[in-house]
Amino acid sequence: MIESKRRRRVIANIATYFVLATLSTFCIGPMIWMFLTSLKYEADIVTQTMQYIPRRVTLDNYVAIWTQSGFPRLIANSLVVTFLTVTICVATGTLAAYTFSRFAFRGRTKLMLGYLVMRMFPAVMMIIPLYVVMRGVGLVDSRFGLALAYTSFLLPLFVWMLKGFFDSAPKELESAARIDGSTRLGAMVRIVMPLARNGLVASSVFIAIAAWNEFLFALMLTTGQGSRTWPVGLQLMVGEFQLPWGVLAAGGILSILPVIALFAIVQRTMVQGLTAGAIKG
Amino acid sequence: MRALGELSETRYWMYLLLLPSLVMILLVIAYPTLYGMAISFREMRLTRPGLGGWVGFKHYAGMWSDPVFWIALKNTVVWVTAAVVLELALGLLAATALNRDLPGTKIFAVLILLPYFLPNVVAGHMWALLLDPRLGVINDLLVRMGVLQTYKAWFADPNTALAATILVEAWHGFPFFALLLLAGLKSIPEDLYKAAAVDGAGVSAQLRLITLPMLKTVIAAAVILRVIGLVNSPDLLLILTGGGPGDATQVLSLYAFQTAYKEFNFGYASALSVVMFVILMIFAAAYIRLSRISKGEGDD
Repeated sequence: MIESKRRRRVIANIATYFVLATLSTFCIGPMIWMFLTSLKYEADIVTQTMQYIPRRVTLDNYVAIWTQSGFPRLIANSLVVTFLTVTICVATGTLAAYTFSRFAFRGRTKLMLGYLVMRMFPAVMMIIPLYVVMRGVGLVDSRFGLALAYTSFLLPLFVWMLKGFFDSAPKELESAARIDGSTRLGAMVRIVMPLARNGLVASSVFIAIAAWNEFLFALMLTTGQGSRTWPVGLQLMVGEFQLPWGVLAAGGILSILPVIALFAIVQRTMVQGLTAGAIKG
Repeated sequence: MRALGELSETRYWMYLLLLPSLVMILLVIAYPTLYGMAISFREMRLTRPGLGGWVGFKHYAGMWSDPVFWIALKNTVVWVTAAVVLELALGLLAATALNRDLPGTKIFAVLILLPYFLPNVVAGHMWALLLDPRLGVINDLLVRMGVLQTYKAWFADPNTALAATILVEAWHGFPFFALLLLAGLKSIPEDLYKAAAVDGAGVSAQLRLITLPMLKTVIAAAVILRVIGLVNSPDLLLILTGGGPGDATQVLSLYAFQTAYKEFNFGYASALSVVMFVILMIFAAAYIRLSRISKGEGDD
């Protein structure tokens, strides 16, 4: 009886590891292949017999993408747009998230629901009028304009995610500070913000990654070198110059490095924040 | 600072805190949305600045007799349904395996989650490379295993193009389900399973009688969020196929985007996106009502 139970558990464990290993391979196999491709000479990529392990390794592709295509400029633009987006969201969204988490007032539920419904707005439905409006005020092909456009779908997301973190920060310390004569503002800045610091970082990283990766708005709203971000730049390079696979792979690897680094750092808190809303709701 | 501190004691404080984000939202969401709806009733082509008049329901009527619209609508339904079903199945599998918390699970969890955070542009080209008709490694593997006779042009063949893009989408999106379902599984008390095991319930009975009912809310939330995401974002299809070959992978969001981006026909593109939004709203409302009803029954 006990024997068979143990045997069943061993089989279940083996099956679990098999599932996990298969899914992990499915997930990161393509990335590993892209990485290997980025290290190959073009002649070894376009060959009759597939080279699974590169016989010769080169960094030429990385040098090529970095020096020949204005890639640094694209990366710099993306950094600026991402930074501006996060700044706008943090500056306005933190206050809203805190308010939704701490105060009861008329229209609170409706407003929060409104923030949620905005996530349903199709990007295309926003892009067209945003383009027309921004062209009218000279914000097309501007990094600030693009950051503003990103706010349209990232701010509601940021508010909802951060509200979850504020909800889980204990209210007792805040009440104690208030009793000790601190104003609401003082309690918010000195007590609540530090308590929700991890959540604030995780939510910021989440929207930073989203802004860094965004493609559709950037394609529509940027037209020149001055504001074009890397996803658009890379995509246009593929179309215009028949970018060699190795160079494209190198560009892909370079541009996902920041994402992977950020993800690795705040992964646990971010996951917690992403799931909280769905579980409660 | 002191004045602000005093202000924070008044009953206007919360509205003051909300003001900045509300202004932003009115500026970048509410106004453009209303303006976009207005555009859908107008003739607006950037290539012909002279046009600009109101045309009433012309664009909406035009959709009715536009064969591409109907193809795109059909493809949207197929694409979204297949991707969501596949992602839900893979996500459930991953979450169940991760939830057993065997040693090393944390590393697997990170690896499985990673695709979700990768940019569409990179994901698209990566898979284009993997499935390339001349040098794609997946073709090579399939030929070696004897599944295929020769390399196949997955994205160029109208019969396989949609399926191939669904595979890429599943790769990109299933971690989202794994994430939410894992959190849902963690919230199910262990005791339920112990009690069921004592009563002699096997693995499949436990899945059917405990796991799935307990996960119902999470699954419902995850599905609706994913459907919204899939219907709204044409990125991956734009990068992989551009809607082709022919209109084999044309979906509504992509059709609307291309009508605006390539043909500069903003009026028709707006009308397309408004119709898409309305369909999505109707679906969401019906879906939420249905999942509430079934949940109500479960509670009784």
